[in-house]
Amino acid sequence: MDEKLTVRHWCRIASGLVIKDGEVVLHSGGENGVALLAAAYRHLGLNYPKFFKMDALSKAGFVAGEVLLSDEKDRFEPREDRAVVLFSSSGCEADDIHYRETITDGNYYPSPSLFVYTLPNVVTGELAIRNLYRGETSAYVLEKFDAKEIVRLVSEAFVDEKTKSVLAGWIDCPDDGSVDAMVFLAEEGEGEPLKPELLYKLFENK
Amino acid sequence: MENLINDLKLAIIDTLNLDGMTPEDIDDNAPLFGEGGLGLDSIDVLELIVLMEKKYGVKVINPIEGKHIFGSIATMAEYITQHRAK
Amino acid sequence: MSDGILIEGFSALSPLGFTPEENYRAVLDGRSALRLHKGEFGVRDPFVASLFDRVAVRQEALREGVSGYGFFDTLAIIAACKAVREAGIDPASDKVLFFLSTIKGAGCPLSESAKILREHFELKHPVTVVSNACISGLSALVVARRALLRRSDIEHIVVVGAEVQSRFIVTGFQSLKALSDEPCRPFDADRKGLNLGEAAAAVVLGRDTSGPGWRITGGAIRNDANHISGPSRTGEGSYNALKALMPLDPAPAFISVHGTATAYNDEMESIAIDRAGLSDVPVSALKGIFGHTMGAAGLLESVLSMKAAEDGIILPTAGFSTPGTSRPVNVSAALRRFEPSSKISFIKLLSGFGGVNAAAFFTFCK
Repeated sequence: MDEKLTVRHWCRIASGLVIKDGEVVLHSGGENGVALLAAAYRHLGLNYPKFFKMDALSKAGFVAGEVLLSDEKDRFEPREDRAVVLFSSSGCEADDIHYRETITDGNYYPSPSLFVYTLPNVVTGELAIRNLYRGETSAYVLEKFDAKEIVRLVSEAFVDEKTKSVLAGWIDCPDDGSVDAMVFLAEEGEGEPLKPELLYKLFENK
Repeated sequence: MENLINDLKLAIIDTLNLDGMTPEDIDDNAPLFGEGGLGLDSIDVLELIVLMEKKYGVKVINPIEGKHIFGSIATMAEYITQHRAK
Repeated sequence: MSDGILIEGFSALSPLGFTPEENYRAVLDGRSALRLHKGEFGVRDPFVASLFDRVAVRQEALREGVSGYGFFDTLAIIAACKAVREAGIDPASDKVLFFLSTIKGAGCPLSESAKILREHFELKHPVTVVSNACISGLSALVVARRALLRRSDIEHIVVVGAEVQSRFIVTGFQSLKALSDEPCRPFDADRKGLNLGEAAAAVVLGRDTSGPGWRITGGAIRNDANHISGPSRTGEGSYNALKALMPLDPAPAFISVHGTATAYNDEMESIAIDRAGLSDVPVSALKGIFGHTMGAAGLLESVLSMKAAEDGIILPTAGFSTPGTSRPVNVSAALRRFEPSSKISFIKLLSGFGGVNAAAFFTFCK
C-alpha cells in the first residue's frame, strides 16, 4: 500500500442522495437508480445528450465524475497522467438483461446500442471521453465490495510512471435498478490517507 | 408521406433516447450525422437499421448503402416508402 | 532486468488443441478451426467462428479431474490446472493470487465465476476479475506484474483467461456489422471484419529469480478518449501504450498485433505502430487462425508468441496477402525466421471497446 496516497475529493450516490465531500448535492425525494441519475443530471444543468444513451452503470459513472470534478481547474485539457479504475460486483448485469430482451425468439432484433454497453469497462471509457483522459482505464469485478482489494489495485496503478492521479471507485448497478456508487480521486498530497478504513467510512454516507 | 415522417421522427427520438426533443425540432432535410444536424454517430446508424426492419420490415444489408439512406429524415422516409413490407 | 517478472508456466486451449504445443503446431501448419456455423446458439444468421467441440472439452475435463461446472468455468479451471502444474506451485498457498480475465464469462455475473474458481482451488484470496473488454488478457498480465512488484506477501500470480461464445455475443457483433462472412483477413486490403473464437489460457507469474526464461519487463494500458466502440483515427491510446514501453531493450523481434481484421482496428494499429517508429518491425496477427477469443486473446496470443520467439520464428498471418492499411506495416503472410540471440523480445498489442489499448514487452534470456 502506498503511504503517500490520499483522498481529498469523493462523491457518493445511493438511496436518493448525491453527496460530495460530505455535503449533500442533491436529495431527491424517493427517486433512486436511473431516475436519481437523471435528476442529478438536470440539477447540475449539464448539456451532454449522450448521457441519455448510456446504460445505468455509465450514467452513474458520468454523474459521479461531474460532481467530483465540477470545480477542477483546466478540466478539459487532454491528460495522460490520470487513470480511471473502477470496481463493481454486478458488472453490467442490468444492461445484459436489456440486451437479452432484444434477442428472444419472439422479438429478435439485436440492439447494437444496448450491446456496446454490455461491457463493464465502457463506463471507464465514457469518463475518459468526457474528460479527455488518455491514461490507463481499468475495470474490475469483485465477488463483493472489498475495500482492501480496491485500495491495493488503485495504489498499484501508480506503478505506471505516467499515472499521478486515479479517479477510482465502486459503482454497482445490480439488476434491481438500484445504484450504489462511491467514487474518489486518489493522489499524493493533502487529504485523508487512502486506506480501507477510509473507504468503509465514506461508504456509510447515505 | 407526412404521416410517415412524423412517425419516423417519434420513433427515432424514442429509439435513440434524444432527450427533450420533439418532432418539430427535427428538420426533414437536415443531416442526421455530423455538425448542424442531430449529431448521430455510428452506433446510432446501426440502431436505425434495426428500427427500419423492426418497424417497417425494411432490411438494409449493406452499411455503405446506409450512408445515403440515413442522410436525412426525408431520405429515410423515401427509402421506406419504396421498400416497406409492413 | 530489475523489474522483470518471470513467467513460470503457461497453458493454452483452443479448438485446435489443449496444449501450447498443439496450438503452436497448428499455427505452423496453417490449420484453423474457423468454420461457418448455421443455427448455432439459435443465432438467426450464419456466422464464421472457431468453436470448441463440447464433447472433447468434457473428456479433457475428466482427464484433469474437473466435473460439475458449466462449460465456461470448466475451461477456465482446466487452463489454470495445466499452468499451475507446469509452474509447480500450490494454488491453495496463501502466497498465490488469481486473476480471471474474461468479458462475458459464463453469461451470468462474472463474480460467480470468480467464486467458482476460488472454491475449486481452495484459494486463500478472492479472485479479481479483470473485465477490460478485448484487452482483458493483457490488462490482467500488466496488473498482475504490478501486484508482484508491490506485494511482498504474494509470490505467484495465476492469470486465467477464457471466453466462450454465445447467442448474446454473436448477435451483438452481428448487430454492429463487425463480423466477416469468411475466415478473417488481418491487415489485408480485402478484410471484411472479424470472426469470434473460443479459447482458454493461463500464465503463472513469479518474482524475478534472475535465471533464464521469459519475463514481462513492461506494460501499459491507455485510453483513446475518443469513442466507446470505434478506435481512434490517430491510434492515440495504442501509440501511447507503445511509447510507455520504450526504450525497447533488446529490440523486438516482432509485434504480435491485435489484428481483428475490421477496417478500423487494423488501420488504427498501422498508424500507432508507424507513429511509434516501429513500422520496420515484423508484425504477426493470429486471428485468422483462432478468431477473436476476446478475454482469452491476450493470454493465448502471448503464449504462442513466446513459443515461436524461442524458436526464432515469426508466426504467419493467416488470411493476409495484400497490404491494406494507410501506413506501412511489416506484415507477412508466411512464416519468417530470425536468428535467436541469447536475448529475445517481442511486443504484444491489443485494443478494445471502451477505447482501451494495451501493450506489453516480453523478453527472454537463455
